[in-house]
Amino acid sequence: MKKIVALFWVLVASGCVTTPSAPPTTPAPEPLIARCDATQAQLSREADQRASPYTIEKHIAEKFPGRQVSWLMKDSAYQTFVVQTNAKNFGRCNDTGCYLFAAPASVIQKAVQDSMKDGTHDPAVLGKALGLPAKNFEGTLRMMTLDLDASGVCVRLPVDSDPGVWKCTSAEDTDCFKFGGFTSGGVPEVMVINAPVAQARVEEIR
Amino acid sequence: MSDEEVLLQSPLLYRLLRDRSGALIIEVVVGGIAMSAVRVRLDANETAAYAREGRAFAERLAQAIQADPPFGGRAVDVP
Repeated sequence: MKKIVALFWVLVASGCVTTPSAPPTTPAPEPLIARCDATQAQLSREADQRASPYTIEKHIAEKFPGRQVSWLMKDSAYQTFVVQTNAKNFGRCNDTGCYLFAAPASVIQKAVQDSMKDGTHDPAVLGKALGLPAKNFEGTLRMMTLDLDASGVCVRLPVDSDPGVWKCTSAEDTDCFKFGGFTSGGVPEVMVINAPVAQARVEEIR
Repeated sequence: MSDEEVLLQSPLLYRLLRDRSGALIIEVVVGGIAMSAVRVRLDANETAAYAREGRAFAERLAQAIQADPPFGGRAVDVP
């Protein structure tokens, strides 16, 4: 028996036999803040402090399954401000970057799917699901989806100073900004910086 | 052929138009996870301010509309 064991270890040492190894593990994604430039990283730190103990990392882990985001745009606006301008990034752009509000892809896609009837979406149903006025969803829409990790974009909690923020003025307002990572309608949201048009999946919603 | 002249198109997601009558109209993308556009016709004071300041005024006006999309009832949804 001792000879068999000794022979086994000789074979292992020579490379003729391999011992079982631990299964390969997927490396943990780098911290989201590491993808941000100095300006956005500072904004992200401040937002996390304000939301403490909640953070962008917890927000993404808990509310964004698959770490994918989606957002909607009326087709007319998409054509005018994305297609005709040959935009490289989605969102409102200034000297510091392009700023885009986005929600969990699962939430947006389910809301769209549930609103479909006979091949077209119902703006009232979609608006109710997303806590926004139905008029925001009238006509043909575009639904964009972006993989946060594959695109490597900077993402953080939105803040009051972000371009496009409409501050709520009353408790009844349902289409305005409230700090904390959720829309006034209760849908999780994040601020994506420099979301590349080329890496987003764009679907037409009739 | 459009009967509107595009005077400004900004990456901040607005554009300034002049219609056939000569009136100035600003079209601004509003909203967060669901974006759409609204149009506001500039009044005499705003038209004069644009004549004086140009793009800087248009930028401020666009930001004001993004921050309050109804804009005092003056904004009209773009279909």
